[in-house]
Amino acid sequence: MKTIAQFLTGIIMLWSSMVLSAGTQYDLRVDGLSCPFCAYGIEKKLKKTKGVDAVEIDLEQGVVVVNTEEGVKLSEAQFKQLVKDAGFTLRSMTEKPLP
Amino acid sequence: MLKSAWWLLATLLLTNGMAANVIAAPVTFNTALPVSQGEVLMRVQAKYLRATNDPGPMDRKLTVTAVPLVGAWGITSRWTLFGIVPLVDKRLKTNTPQGRVTRDTSGLGDITAIARYTAYAKDAPGRTFRVARFAGIETPTGSDDERDGLGELPRPLQPGSGSWDTLVGIVITDQSLDQEWGADASYKFNSRANDFEFGDEARLNVSYHGRIGTAGPAGGIPHFIYAGLEGNLIWQDKNRNNGMDNPDSGGTTLTLAPVLQYVTMRTVTGAALQIPVVQDLNGNALKQDYIATLSLRINI
Repeated sequence: MKTIAQFLTGIIMLWSSMVLSAGTQYDLRVDGLSCPFCAYGIEKKLKKTKGVDAVEIDLEQGVVVVNTEEGVKLSEAQFKQLVKDAGFTLRSMTEKPLP
Repeated sequence: MLKSAWWLLATLLLTNGMAANVIAAPVTFNTALPVSQGEVLMRVQAKYLRATNDPGPMDRKLTVTAVPLVGAWGITSRWTLFGIVPLVDKRLKTNTPQGRVTRDTSGLGDITAIARYTAYAKDAPGRTFRVARFAGIETPTGSDDERDGLGELPRPLQPGSGSWDTLVGIVITDQSLDQEWGADASYKFNSRANDFEFGDEARLNVSYHGRIGTAGPAGGIPHFIYAGLEGNLIWQDKNRNNGMDNPDSGGTTLTLAPVLQYVTMRTVTGAALQIPVVQDLNGNALKQDYIATLSLRINI
């Protein structure tokens, strides 16, 4: 019984550490992205942000996907300001842990 | 008379679209599209103007080649600062009492600084509508006392105007993924230098660009190909020399320009050919044939 408890505790701790240390994927719906040349500004702005690992833009869908490094969290307010500084408008945002 | 239409032609060439046109947008004039805060864009153009339609006996033939270098810096998401450094080469062939002569000059033109403020922005999915105001000053950095074997070159043939000039304007841009239209209106107040004053200028420009194709690598940001038409209506007041109007200067010109652009994330490559459809110039002014423009914009 004690062995099983120790095993389960170990699994839970390992799972917790993986969840806590994994990065996050943010899907930003950005209004105003209307040409490839304009998209570069927001990509550059986001890539300069500390902790941002990757940025991908789907121009046709108006979606910017931002992946952050392990343990880095960015708030909606931060993204709103970054998108505004790039000259666009953040409509909405969703986030999920990276696999 | 030599001073008559040269300045209008040179102005068309050197200030046409120089103000703030550094984003995917019209080739021949401004845009209200954003420059991200802290970011820098560059644009270089090669412009070639030819004017050989001389109604007078002097059989003037003017060619102007210009390379305006433009840098744009996003101070904030609404404020953008532009610097325009033109390099020019002007060449005039004309009949004189001494026979047919060629007079030419080249060098740095007048550097212009412009501030643009986005007064209104309405963003939607895949679309943006913007209205911006701009104001600028043209500084007398170009030489205005060049000489050749016949003496001092006429003022319009000089690389610089010698005067401090100001301009104000408004630009509207509506861009979606498939098309873009734009319009701008501006007024330039030319001042006097060395007892000579070029006439003020008013401009009204419109453009329409439609996406005709998509290219580029699979995945990532596609490349857009645009085709369009741009129109430029320019009015210039008469020049004044020693306080007197020059009756052979100023007038109204309307040009139409087919435009082709290839837009990627880092560059915009474009070409335009401005063809005059109306040239209602005062007096015995030299009329232009065309202005050809090649343009490259780069996201730094």
